[in-house]
Amino acid sequence: MLEAINLSKIYGDQPALTNLNLMIEEGEIFALLGQNGAGKTTTINCFLGFIEPSSGQAKINGMTVGHNHNETKKYLAYIPETVMLYPNLSGIENLEFFSSLAGFSYKKNEIVDLLKKAGLSSTAHEKRVNGYSKGMRQKVGIAIAIAKKAKALLLDEPTSGLDPKASNEFSEIIQELAANGTAILMATHDIFRAKEIANRIGIMKEGNLVSIIHSKDISANELEKLYLQTV
Amino acid sequence: MTSLLFINLMRSKGLMVGLLVLFMAGLISLQIGKSFLEKNEKIIEKTREYQEESIEKNVELHSKEIGLLLYYLKFGYVNKMPRITGLAIGQRDINPSLQSVTIRNLEEQKYATDLMNPLFQLLGNMDFSFVLIYLFPLIIIAFSFNLISEEKEGGTWSLVISQTSNPITLIKTKLLLRFSIIISLLIVLLILATLYLKLPWDVPLLAYSLLSILYITFWFSITWFLLSFHLNSSQNATYLLLTWLMLTIIIPAGINAISTYKYPVPEAFSTVLESRDGYHNKWDEPKEPTVTKFHQHYPQFKAYKHPEGKDYSWLWYYAMQQMGDDDAAAVSKEFQEKLLQRNQFAANIGLFVPSIHTQLNLNSIGKSDLGNHLSFLKSLEHFHEKKRLYYYPKIFKDVSVQEENWKNITLAYFDEKIPDKWYLQLISYLIFIGSFLIWGNTKFRTNKY
Repeated sequence: MLEAINLSKIYGDQPALTNLNLMIEEGEIFALLGQNGAGKTTTINCFLGFIEPSSGQAKINGMTVGHNHNETKKYLAYIPETVMLYPNLSGIENLEFFSSLAGFSYKKNEIVDLLKKAGLSSTAHEKRVNGYSKGMRQKVGIAIAIAKKAKALLLDEPTSGLDPKASNEFSEIIQELAANGTAILMATHDIFRAKEIANRIGIMKEGNLVSIIHSKDISANELEKLYLQTV
Repeated sequence: MTSLLFINLMRSKGLMVGLLVLFMAGLISLQIGKSFLEKNEKIIEKTREYQEESIEKNVELHSKEIGLLLYYLKFGYVNKMPRITGLAIGQRDINPSLQSVTIRNLEEQKYATDLMNPLFQLLGNMDFSFVLIYLFPLIIIAFSFNLISEEKEGGTWSLVISQTSNPITLIKTKLLLRFSIIISLLIVLLILATLYLKLPWDVPLLAYSLLSILYITFWFSITWFLLSFHLNSSQNATYLLLTWLMLTIIIPAGINAISTYKYPVPEAFSTVLESRDGYHNKWDEPKEPTVTKFHQHYPQFKAYKHPEGKDYSWLWYYAMQQMGDDDAAAVSKEFQEKLLQRNQFAANIGLFVPSIHTQLNLNSIGKSDLGNHLSFLKSLEHFHEKKRLYYYPKIFKDVSVQEENWKNITLAYFDEKIPDKWYLQLISYLIFIGSFLIWGNTKFRTNKY
């Protein structure tokens, strides 16, 4: 579903991503680990079409991003590190708005169901999001992603700043989405969360994907050791 | 999507405050316009009463000599002020809307007018045109400068463009919502104006409304164009405010300075001096040359002669007065021509500067522009000449004062019509708006988000 072929990005003379080759199948969760500036967000931005690769291709469902920008966006959902919403609108209104942007029109009860599915307490649905915590906003972000019925989900450090409970709830939803066939690429600093939910884990350093590990083949401690040795 | 964007916009406190300020400014401007109209109406009414009383008294006092009576009698000539002048006071606060003239020399009387409060003249009037030309664009800028950048800076933009491959529709909708709100406020204020100022639903009101709508559309088109550059909020605000400053203050001031330099106008006062010299000197000169010149000017009055050996006759007196106008004619003509040239220069430049174009056209609709004042002065000359031609033979024949029906004399009015092809003035806006919208659209399509 998500494929990177020799994907590179250079800013000036500074390589941000070098010859990334990666394939993420439907239903798979792939976690990208790495320090700041390792190239995780650059990889996600190439798939989103936010930046143009210097060379190589980012493909979604076999279509190259950039060549088929309109088409590839239909298959993608995105949850940034901090989901920012329209503060004057409620959770329901935000979800309705972002869904309508993607061309979906939901009835109010469907929107409520989506928010519930994303784990947002029903008492918060009608409240303006300027009073929401980060975790609540992330849940609206998940609801937006679910509502788009995307085949691929890109997550850029989605659990950063969330409390353990919220982070755990988030992981459960991500796993549920993967179980339903969504391909998920998640950039994260959280080694233990990556080990817990990802099928495969890639470690990036200075724009290079230096190792790929199947999470079932390694313990959390071993992963941490490997990560620290690598970066 | 549109309804949610509208809800989001209406829940923003800044929008409500901005709209309220603009609405209040609009209401104040309507009150200023109404006061101005009422003041003018009072002046005209008082003048009418005064003229009636004055004629009655003078007829009584100078019932033996019509020449002497007409020395004193003043005839009021009013530059008719339509109700819509209340929306565009223009130069009506400095140029008189009423002239009371005797049939003596005109040039001296043209510029004898009441002085207004000079501080008031310095500040100008906060009429509705001022609110439209200066304040509406500021509110448009305040509402729209961060249309995209607020999303980028607030963090919603990445989510937006991950959801849609066509964010231009969202930006258009956001701008159109702001446009609709501002236009609605304008329409509400114009409707209030029609009720409060008792404006008739006529062609000038239609022209005023269309010009206002196009001027506002012009500002939105500039905003659209600038937004297509995807600058940050502070850059957008800076460039838009600079545009406002250039279009509403710096360029008009510069054009004014250039036109003053390019078309130097002799002081109106020098016309008065020429005129005074023209007739005052005649007291000490032989009478015949003055009368001969008068006969050259008016051959139809050749039959009337100055009595030989006499020091004074009404023929000579009015001939002498006539000389004042004749001697000042060249300076007066130059004065008016230069003013016309300035007016034309400003109108030509205005085709490329919508703020100037709007101000000139709104004043033209309100009959408060320089062009209207010059037409009024021209018409005053005709009015004055008509009076002279009517009364000269009566004076020279020394007809009895009682033969005339003096009660028939009422105020006369000058009423300039709006130009037939006023709608041609809209073309310049359409060109600007079309260009900025197309240019902005092209940039939006070619730029990456």
